[in-house]
Amino acid sequence: MAASNPFPLSKEALLTCYRTMRTIREFEDRLHVDFSRGDIPGFVHLYAGEEASAVGILTHLGDGDRIASTHRGHGHCIAKGVNVVEMMKEIYGRTGGCGNGKGGSMHIADLSKGMMGANGILGAGAPLICGAALAAKYRKKNEVGICFVGDGASNQGTFLESLNLAAVWNLPVIFVVENNGYAESTSRDYATAVNSYVDRASGFGIPGITVDGTDFLAVYEAAGEVIKRAREGGGPSLLECKMVRFHGHFEGDAQTYRAPGELEDVRVNHDCLKIFSAHVVSAGVISSDELAAIDKSVLALIEDSVQQAKAAPLPTLADLTTDVYVNY
Amino acid sequence: MTEAGPSRTPCIGVIANPVSARDIRRIVANAGNLQITDRVSMLLRMLGAAGSTGVKKVLMMPDSGGVSAMLLRSLQRELQLQHNFPQIEFLDMSPTTTVNDTLLAARMMRDAGVKAIIVLGGDGTHRAVVRECRDIPIAGMSTGTNNAFPDMREPTITGIAVGLYASGKLSAAQALVQNKLIEVSINEGERRDIALVDAVISTDRFIGARALWKIENLAAVYLSFAEPQAIGLSAIGGLLQPVGRREPGGLAITLSDDPLLRRVQLLAPIAPGMVRPVGIAHWEAMPANQPFTVALDAGVVALDGEREMTFDSGDRVQLTLIENAFPTVDVAACMQFAACNGLLRLSSQPT
Repeated sequence: MAASNPFPLSKEALLTCYRTMRTIREFEDRLHVDFSRGDIPGFVHLYAGEEASAVGILTHLGDGDRIASTHRGHGHCIAKGVNVVEMMKEIYGRTGGCGNGKGGSMHIADLSKGMMGANGILGAGAPLICGAALAAKYRKKNEVGICFVGDGASNQGTFLESLNLAAVWNLPVIFVVENNGYAESTSRDYATAVNSYVDRASGFGIPGITVDGTDFLAVYEAAGEVIKRAREGGGPSLLECKMVRFHGHFEGDAQTYRAPGELEDVRVNHDCLKIFSAHVVSAGVISSDELAAIDKSVLALIEDSVQQAKAAPLPTLADLTTDVYVNY
Repeated sequence: MTEAGPSRTPCIGVIANPVSARDIRRIVANAGNLQITDRVSMLLRMLGAAGSTGVKKVLMMPDSGGVSAMLLRSLQRELQLQHNFPQIEFLDMSPTTTVNDTLLAARMMRDAGVKAIIVLGGDGTHRAVVRECRDIPIAGMSTGTNNAFPDMREPTITGIAVGLYASGKLSAAQALVQNKLIEVSINEGERRDIALVDAVISTDRFIGARALWKIENLAAVYLSFAEPQAIGLSAIGGLLQPVGRREPGGLAITLSDDPLLRRVQLLAPIAPGMVRPVGIAHWEAMPANQPFTVALDAGVVALDGEREMTFDSGDRVQLTLIENAFPTVDVAACMQFAACNGLLRLSSQPT
């Protein structure tokens, strides 16, 4: 029996969001395994557990809207529409990757999709997105910029300066603080004098709100309002998503700072994919079989992307001196 | 009700919600944001005042939202300045920054035998404390968005009043007052909850960002009291047919913008900064202990301003007004009694 849809998205849109979240999860879980085998060069910071934030927010955007990401950027890239196979090749350091295999996990970008880049420097995305938002304001196309930062990066001067700049220029920008509770392994109480990101924004005259980042529907609804406000000329705002991460700060992190049983609790009770599935299945809008079919096709996509990445050639010595400068 | 008399270790609880006033109404309605710094300043003023009237020990709810950390730093500074405070002890619990923190803290405070709980938060925070323990008197300090329930009052005065009661200088009969609430039951108690001020039925069918601000989605409003000067959804009743906090009964209102059903259209401040026309089809008094059954087929029940309980076709949702449901510290009455009986006179010269 087809039930009426109580949600603010169509069934097709809900299925797309689920597919994107599941793609992020499988992408990250596969990297977790492959990195531990030594297959992947460099460093990776995994986004698994945080999918509702990226997808709940970026579902509202088009290719003309720009985002600036973080060191934990794979989820933002996938949710912004970056090609998964090219991402996998990039992380494997192979030609055909987003940066032709020379950038790796923390430098994935695709300007055609409005993805200005993951970023290995904490807080560095904030001034970048102010520039993008200023350009959008001049172009008068109602485009917006979204900057993701972690809770630790919010203490960086770049972030605070960007809040000020966005406020005085009334830029169409949303600062998203993805608060997973850990600034690497430092507690916020130790490192942050005023432990509220909403208060940080208030200090610059920017409205801020906090939302349950494990609930896709809560993020989607709140993000819709802040993005609408920015498109209509209402200026910057801050959205704090309280969320959980399933893996360590980086792969290899022993996570000794977590309480006993914390990770198990997080995976059982705060998994945004489980929460999403429970909502849509119990409402009778999407069946478990439909979700299982997506799971299967996503697994195949990730497996294919890994095989393609492994088969792609490494960059050559000559590639070292290409793509260093760009002519304007 | 206990008689006034000295208490051996006057102890109170304090629950300060670090994330009240953080919802979407800051975006859609320019609602205010009371900063952590201000919340801690309020706590310091209240704690100092409570200590000056006899409170020796305070149990605090820990949090990971910034209040505890800043309070600890502030108390260290105050102690260096030789300022006196009661002994502050944080409960042994791991904060989750969800309503579960408030529920657990209230339970632990009751088990520890506190005489009263001071609550910093909005209507929702107060609701959570009462949901967990209806038998411990609470004193509210408003730090939320709508704040129909807690008083807007200087925390120093709240601290003095609670201190007088907790230290036994005022009896329960002198210091406390009973309050109404609305009980919500789905499918004869399968799911239960309460509202202190307003239970609102919305055609929304998901919890999402929780706050209510789209008047076109509201179907019915059930109020334990309705004051004309209130902000929030209870203002609809307050401007239609006021019901005082201390009066018997409540108010049930059916909303409709259909011109064929609408009997009254009034302008109401449904959220800070949002004054909206509201169509009203029907309203009636809500006598105590008489269940009202929700007519809407499927939707969500919002409790004190936040979407909390979804219901679907076939679910039976009932709301019942309960009188004398829980005690609060009547700060104005405490101060009046203290003045009339010289409780705060340190010395007097014969005239």
